Amino acid sequence: MYGWIWRHLPGNALVRALISLILVLGIVFLLFQYIFPWAEPLLPFNDVTVDEGAAQR
Amino acid sequence: MAEAGAEAGAKDVAAPAEETAADAPERDPAKTAEENAEETAEETAEEAAADTAGDGDAPPAPPARRRRGLVAGAVSLFGEVLITVGVLMALFVVYSLYWTNVQANRQAGRMTDDLRDSWESTPDDGKPRPVNIGDLKGGIGFLHVPAMEENILVRKGTATDDLNKGVAGYYTEPVKSAMPWDRRGNFSLAAHRDGHGAKFHDIHDIDEGDPIVFESKDRWYVYKTYAILSETSKYNTDVLDKIPEESGKTEPGRYITLTTCTPMYTSRHRYIVWGELERVDRVDEQRTPPPELS
Repeated sequence: MYGWIWRHLPGNALVRALISLILVLGIVFLLFQYIFPWAEPLLPFNDVTVDEGAAQR
Repeated sequence: MAEAGAEAGAKDVAAPAEETAADAPERDPAKTAEENAEETAEETAEEAAADTAGDGDAPPAPPARRRRGLVAGAVSLFGEVLITVGVLMALFVVYSLYWTNVQANRQAGRMTDDLRDSWESTPDDGKPRPVNIGDLKGGIGFLHVPAMEENILVRKGTATDDLNKGVAGYYTEPVKSAMPWDRRGNFSLAAHRDGHGAKFHDIHDIDEGDPIVFESKDRWYVYKTYAILSETSKYNTDVLDKIPEESGKTEPGRYITLTTCTPMYTSRHRYIVWGELERVDRVDEQRTPPPELS
C-alpha cells in the first residue's frame, strides 16, 4: 500500500519524501480537526455526568 | 552592455531548464526501470515469476512462485493495515489526552477573561447574575479546590459541548442545580476527568474536611467536604438531590456536589464529592482570597 503510493509519487527520492511528509501532516490535520472530534463522543471514554440513561444521550 | 549581459545570463539559465524539460521524457522510462529494479522483494519475486512464465523455461515453478508472491503481498498489506490502525489509535490518544486540553484551556481562558472583565465593568448592586458573552453562557464564577485545581470557570450546562470548553458546568437536568447564593439547595457541578481541560482530574486527592471555595462577583462561598462516594452508577441521579441523602444528610441545607467519571480514562462509573457551606465572605477591593486558598 505505502510502496504503491511511493512509486506513484513524482520526482526523486527527496521530492517524494517531502510530498509524503506533507501528505502525512495533512492527514493528521484532518484527523485532529474533523475525524477525532466526530468520533470521540461515540466512544465511551468521556461521559462525566450522572443522568437518567440512554434516553438522554 | 550590462543589459546584454543580463539577457545572456537569462538565456543561460533558461537553456538548461529547456534541456532538462526536453530530456525528461527520454530519461523517464530509464528511471522507472531503475526504480522498478529497486522494488520490494515480494514484487520482484512476482515479476520474476511472470517473466519466467513468459519464457517458459521452468513450467512447474511459475504457478507456485506466483502464489507465494500473492501471499507475500497479502501478508505485507495486512501488516501495513495493522501498523496504520496502531498509529491511528496512538494519534487518537494524543488527541484526547493532550490536544483537547490545549483547545479547551484556550477557550476557557478566553471566557475567564470575558467574565472577569464583565465583573469589573458592571455596577456593584450585590445581585449575582449569570454572564453571557460569546461562548460564555451562564458564567457565574470560579471554583477553587486547593486539593485539586483552582480557577475553574463555572458556567451553565453539563452537555458534552458545554463541558468540552474546559469548564465545570452546573446541572440543569436531570436535577436542576441550586445557585450558591440560594438560601437552600444543592449546587451540583460536573467536569471532565481526562481531556478537554480535565478540570476534575485530581478529584481523588480531595479528602474529607478539605475546603471547596466558589468565587462569585462579590462573595467567597467556602464549603467543606464532608462525604465522598468514590464509585457509583452513572444513572444515580439521587446524588444531585436538594438533600443528598446518600451523603448522610437529612436536613435541608446549602450543599455542593462535584461529579466526574471514574476510574480514570473511562466513563464506567461516577465519582462524587459533597461539601456543605461553612461561611460566606465578602469580596474586598483587592479580591483577597479567603485563608483556605492561601
